[in-house]
Amino acid sequence: MRPKSPLMLRLLAFTAAASLGLAGAVRAQSSAVHELPQSLIYEHEQTISELEGLTHHPGAVGVEATKALDLFKRHIAHEQEYILPPLTLLPDLADGKVSQDMAWALEMTDRVRTNQEQIFAEHAAVTDRMNALYVAALQAHDAEAADFAKSAAADSLNDLEILEPTVIMIGDYLRTKLAAKP
Amino acid sequence: MVRFSTIARRFIAGGLLVLGLLSALPVQAGDAAKGKSVFTSECAMCHSNARNGPTILGPTLFGVVGRKAGTVAGFAYSSGMKSAGFAWSDAQLAAYLPSPRALVAGTKMPYGGLKNPTKLADLIAYLDTLK
Repeated sequence: MRPKSPLMLRLLAFTAAASLGLAGAVRAQSSAVHELPQSLIYEHEQTISELEGLTHHPGAVGVEATKALDLFKRHIAHEQEYILPPLTLLPDLADGKVSQDMAWALEMTDRVRTNQEQIFAEHAAVTDRMNALYVAALQAHDAEAADFAKSAAADSLNDLEILEPTVIMIGDYLRTKLAAKP
Repeated sequence: MVRFSTIARRFIAGGLLVLGLLSALPVQAGDAAKGKSVFTSECAMCHSNARNGPTILGPTLFGVVGRKAGTVAGFAYSSGMKSAGFAWSDAQLAAYLPSPRALVAGTKMPYGGLKNPTKLADLIAYLDTLK
């Protein structure tokens, strides 16, 4: 291998440093991208914890809870991947603060808009699963499981009525405001 | 673009025609007693079946047959359901319940659909009794 010239070495060193800096910036941005509203993190943890508890209930309730648990984990993973992060911008947006470093959210809000039918289908699957748990709970006179099912179905409807439209509106608002900035 | 919109219009018109024809088909006669159990397993978590029953996650289904879609006071319907422009008949229910968003775009009822034709007929027969 030929020894590299000092100029070449400097160029390589500069490129390496720039790459490291860029990687750091991307890492910093992606950690910001994956930040989630704390209230929703807590809510999701509670949901999973309660559902895990229900999987130990006897008979059909435990069986339905186990089926639901897997579905919930996948659904929550999707939410955390690209639906919930833009919501972290809401307090600043409500304060009238808009800056270019919020632009990361646009890819996510666009994805929510594009995937609306798929997201709806996930909520329909969650509601159907909660319905099965509810019926099993009624038959077993298991008030805890029945309450959980109804409450989780309400949360699912809440996501459709409020959360996802809000995420889409955040994207529209951001795009308009960022375009208007000099 | 003009060509695309013409094709799109024809496609939509074709879809509406198919839906219309499906709605006009006679609905399979169901068993209301069995339908009550279908109601319990498919609908009761979100819908009341009682006269003057409460809005739960969805509007009461008491009196649904014959009622104009999207008109129960106290329930915040989607704009799609508010502007559906039809009254619920057996045929409309038979078209709606297997795939709600296929009949009413934008409906917010997150329900995968009742695909089993016997259960569907039984449920509709039961809903017919809620008056």
